[in-house]
Amino acid sequence: MLRVDPLRNPEPLIRRVYGYVAYRIGDGPDAEDLTSETFVRALRYRKSFDPQKGEPLAWLIGIARRLIEGRPPTLELAIEVPEQTDAGDLEEVTLRRLALSAAVSQLEPRDRDLIALRYGADLTARQIAEELDLKTNAVEVALHRALGRLRATIGEPGDPPVRKEGTAR
Amino acid sequence: MRHKRTNLETELRANRPEPSHEFVNRLEGRVREGRRSRAGSFRVAFAGALAAGVLAALASVGGLGYAATATGSAVDKAKQAVKSHGVLVVHKSPSRDQYGPKVKKAKKAKKKAKGRKFKRPPFTG
Repeated sequence: MLRVDPLRNPEPLIRRVYGYVAYRIGDGPDAEDLTSETFVRALRYRKSFDPQKGEPLAWLIGIARRLIEGRPPTLELAIEVPEQTDAGDLEEVTLRRLALSAAVSQLEPRDRDLIALRYGADLTARQIAEELDLKTNAVEVALHRALGRLRATIGEPGDPPVRKEGTAR
Repeated sequence: MRHKRTNLETELRANRPEPSHEFVNRLEGRVREGRRSRAGSFRVAFAGALAAGVLAALASVGGLGYAATATGSAVDKAKQAVKSHGVLVVHKSPSRDQYGPKVKKAKKAKKKAKGRKFKRPPFTG
């Protein structure tokens, strides 16, 4: 049987794995280290990749998730956003990016994981469902709630009240 | 509200943390290098497996014995060829006459002398 090499075109994969990792643990050297480790493991266990189970990106994100979960919790990065009065020194885009990253870092680990999978790694709801062993519909609902909580964290006005995961039906 | 939701999702995608170009290039190089080295070892293993397979196939139909016999007969032929050329001695040839080992010839003069039995005449003086 002809094997499919999941790392044939690594550049876009590196960017998306990094996007996921950075939304989970914060942008910077730790995210770079973890992304590198993900690819080192992927190279080592390349033979275990089964194209029938999913795309290379989903496989890599699975490796990255396990690595993050294996990390000590003290290494979780707390992102600090500069005061609004310093906005003149920074570009608005950079400030907004930092604000978003900070808001994501304040979410519950499960919400953060969902946001990172959807908007960091750019996985579809179906791919996330396969990764988390959930139904696609359940993932869509969970994502909707996570976005609501993120909106509340950012402090955007007019947000609908979002119930906690535990209180949901 | 719908518009706002879309904005947040768009923002999350647009402001996704991006790795530095240097990091991407470095890691991409490592991945490509790792792929190449593994592909090389795979090729060597494949060649070895192919050779073993061919040998096994030959052995199953007695090909190895046939090959051994053929090789032996070829060696014999070669030996014969070398031997016949190697020990060829030409006994009569102009070069041998000129440069070969000297053969002592009987001196005719002496033989003649022996035959005549020269006798010095008696001293009369």
